[in-house]
Amino acid sequence: MAAWNSKHVRHFVARTLFGYSKNDVSVAMSYGSFSELLDAALLKEIPAPAAPNAWVNTPPAASQVTSNEVGTWYREFNYWWFKLMYKEGLNMQEKMVLFLHNHFANERDKVQYPQNMYAQNALFRKYAFGNFKQLVKEISIDPAMLIYLDGNNSRGSVPNENYARELLELFTMGIGNYSEADVKQAAKVLSGWQVSGLKANFVAGRWYTESSVTVLGKTAKFDINSLVDHIFDQKATAEFLCRKLYKEFVYYKPNEAFVLQMAVVLRANNYEIKPLLKFLFSSEEFFTPAYLGSKIKNPTELMVGACKLFELPTPDYINMYELSKVLQMQLFQPPDVAGWPGQREWISSTTYSYRGGFSDSLITGKRYNGVAVSGKLVPVPYAQTFLNSENAVEFVDDVLALFLQFPVTAKKKAFLLETLLGGTIVKNWSTYTPGANVNLQQFFKAVMRLPEFQLC
Amino acid sequence: MALLSGGVGLGISGIPGQAYAALPAGLAASVPAGNALVIIQLSGGNDGLNTVIPAENDTYFAKRPDIAIKKVDALALKNGMYLHPSMTGIKSLYDQGNVAIVQSVGYANPNRSHFRATDIWNTGSDANVVWEEGWAARYLAEKYPAYPISMPAHPMAIQLGSVESLLFQSDMGRFGTVFEDPNLFYQLVSGTLSDDEIPPATLAGDELAFLKQVSSTSIQYSTVIRDGALKGANSVTYPATNLAKQLGIVAKLISGGLETPVYLCTIGGFDTHANQLNQHANLWKQISDAVAAFQKDLKTQNKADKVTLMTFSEFGRRVNQNGTTGTDHGTAAPMFVIGNTVRGGLIGENPNLVNLDSNGDLKPNFDYRQVYSTVLSDHLGLSTTSTAGIFKKSFDRLPIFLNSPLIAEAGVKVTLLDPAPNPASSQVRIQFAAFEAMRIELALFDMQGQKLGSIFAGEVPSGTYTYPVDVTQFPAGTYLVSLAASTGARITKRLIIVN
Repeated sequence: MAAWNSKHVRHFVARTLFGYSKNDVSVAMSYGSFSELLDAALLKEIPAPAAPNAWVNTPPAASQVTSNEVGTWYREFNYWWFKLMYKEGLNMQEKMVLFLHNHFANERDKVQYPQNMYAQNALFRKYAFGNFKQLVKEISIDPAMLIYLDGNNSRGSVPNENYARELLELFTMGIGNYSEADVKQAAKVLSGWQVSGLKANFVAGRWYTESSVTVLGKTAKFDINSLVDHIFDQKATAEFLCRKLYKEFVYYKPNEAFVLQMAVVLRANNYEIKPLLKFLFSSEEFFTPAYLGSKIKNPTELMVGACKLFELPTPDYINMYELSKVLQMQLFQPPDVAGWPGQREWISSTTYSYRGGFSDSLITGKRYNGVAVSGKLVPVPYAQTFLNSENAVEFVDDVLALFLQFPVTAKKKAFLLETLLGGTIVKNWSTYTPGANVNLQQFFKAVMRLPEFQLC
Repeated sequence: MALLSGGVGLGISGIPGQAYAALPAGLAASVPAGNALVIIQLSGGNDGLNTVIPAENDTYFAKRPDIAIKKVDALALKNGMYLHPSMTGIKSLYDQGNVAIVQSVGYANPNRSHFRATDIWNTGSDANVVWEEGWAARYLAEKYPAYPISMPAHPMAIQLGSVESLLFQSDMGRFGTVFEDPNLFYQLVSGTLSDDEIPPATLAGDELAFLKQVSSTSIQYSTVIRDGALKGANSVTYPATNLAKQLGIVAKLISGGLETPVYLCTIGGFDTHANQLNQHANLWKQISDAVAAFQKDLKTQNKADKVTLMTFSEFGRRVNQNGTTGTDHGTAAPMFVIGNTVRGGLIGENPNLVNLDSNGDLKPNFDYRQVYSTVLSDHLGLSTTSTAGIFKKSFDRLPIFLNSPLIAEAGVKVTLLDPAPNPASSQVRIQFAAFEAMRIELALFDMQGQKLGSIFAGEVPSGTYTYPVDVTQFPAGTYLVSLAASTGARITKRLIIVN
């Protein structure tokens, strides 16, 4: 077990949550051990949140699309989810919901109705720490998924292969572990479903009529449950999910030996996710020094985390929504069925520049295109929440220790100190001087513009 | 990554690397300098059979009762092939001789995963090996050997969009500058901080080095790109579609004097598993109209000889329609190469809808790297040796360009391609392209020079010809395929027969 200290605790909350505030770190420290922190906070079962609005139960209708009512609803849905993330405290349920949304990636452009997408989101929340095998059974007949991967109206006689392929390739086993014939046969088993409004109905007459099919070496009259059970009997399946969790939470190039250890834990717990997460976040591997600060934050982590650092009372979720699009992580609109690939794929000449534009906007109250951003940072009172706010050198140290998981050089620290002082000398620094407001703005902008700030 | 970490600090100094006075060793001199390749990626797997349509083939209609496009609706090319009805712009370019259509392009052991297949097309690898560098990045590494220690004056590659393609990624770093709008890009970058510190040689340090490289590239090129856009112009009005906007920016930058050799534009939505007719028609209307505007723009500005467009998609689609009036993932499909210097027409035989692979998919007629190799050598001027180095093997070029060395160098107006597959065990395809009418004698010889049989003898009009030969009657060994033509050509290719 890794040493219990503030450096490790910051790594822990930086990776398992959407960033953190000063207060989050202190509360986490008060648990006294990773085991306590995991059981009593991070992996604790919490009640389901209230739905974003009544539209979640409104039957889908074409008029909602033509009038773009769905656009308004999706916005509400996004703001609602951002708020859950922002208010997550030390519980990682929402982090897992996003992980599952990225794993079973569905695009709103095709699903169209936020009602269906919400039901799927609620399913992810139900299984955030739950049984992954059971989730795969339920997602296979989830209306949004049926629409997205064309299971809707697929007939056993001429099945649509889309869902069957992605079930094997992206959701359970991974490429190279099944054949084209397995895809074709599984597609028959998965046929027969039709989406009607908020429900999916099985129509027996549209199912396959063969007395048996052969999938992954076994011949049987499979139904969806027995097919998923059979897929989960394959060695590759546990390893595939574990590899993906490892890449999300530890390091983007997996340590295969450790992935195998994770798979043993997952299988021993019959695909329950919670014991696996507890194993992962208690492991020496998770705290390996070389991995600290090696993850490029995804845009949601970056945006929600920056607001948490600044302890903004009312962050501007509209701003987050607009920036999520330009930073290439619009929720409910992943690039394709494989989801967001993550790490370096987040970064291009354009998105890198926009990231700086987002952190600037929290400080200036203006988006890159001049649109006003509400709830911006009030720098002086915020700075005064730091114990050493009146001592410039120590204040810079404290801010950098809190904001960055990647240590900066003395030279860079000196540059940031100069930015903070803005021409005055250390001895004369005080947050009570008239110019402090502007100096603090420049300083926080510069810290969040550091490439190091993109890492956690 | 060590090189990247070491190089990044140097690139930030703000002093651009010098443009090369002389061509680096790998570049051949026969192609004029300053040519650009504009790649259009069709994401999702384009249905080739409903793009370049065998509308006189009964099998096509039998296998696609609900989604086949009728001859009367389609735009006639030749040899029984037709363009999708919404491709009027490309048809008009075809009629002007500016469109080469390479039919049934793919590769051996095709992969039907979107993601793996896209990686294969982007890296130029065989299906069974994983490469992590884009083929264009390897070309650019050859063209700009000093990168990332010093940066060329102009962007090495430009991608219109937001997420950098694997096409431009390599161990030497990212070669692409990625943006959606030149002015906005310039404004965004203006607040970016840079420093010349060298990150530590750790895992996290590697990520930091990567971030710093992207930021220094952005700082360096955002001004060049904005200035190019200010100086350049569009001479036509582009349609109001995303792809047309992308191509309009490319034309403007070329007009403004940017010397960037490779551009990438993207259009998605080709994964037509269900109700594909309208969607596919809309997509091709967008492409066709955008490409027509782009070509007109370049021609008006006298830049059209320098620029070639090439399309690719990760795979074609199944010959049979599925049960939801769409098509599932398939294999081979046509590629379009469009430009003033292109030798227009259909290349290769029409897709064979009967002799399918075990999955019910088309067998490829050409390897996709034949097209890439041709474009690299005959348009971008890379030597054949360097081109072969990029793909770690040599691929026969195709007669896509008017100035193709296949024609110009040989002076015999005919080319014989390598037999495929080679070695062969059952059937082998022998293929040649004649660039004018001529008499051809094509025959099989053993290594002692004994003629074993004639494959073809007769007069042919210009075109590409393919002959399947059953080799099961010959014992295992090495043979020669020989082509003699009335132009004086004598070309021989080795054929290995195995049992």
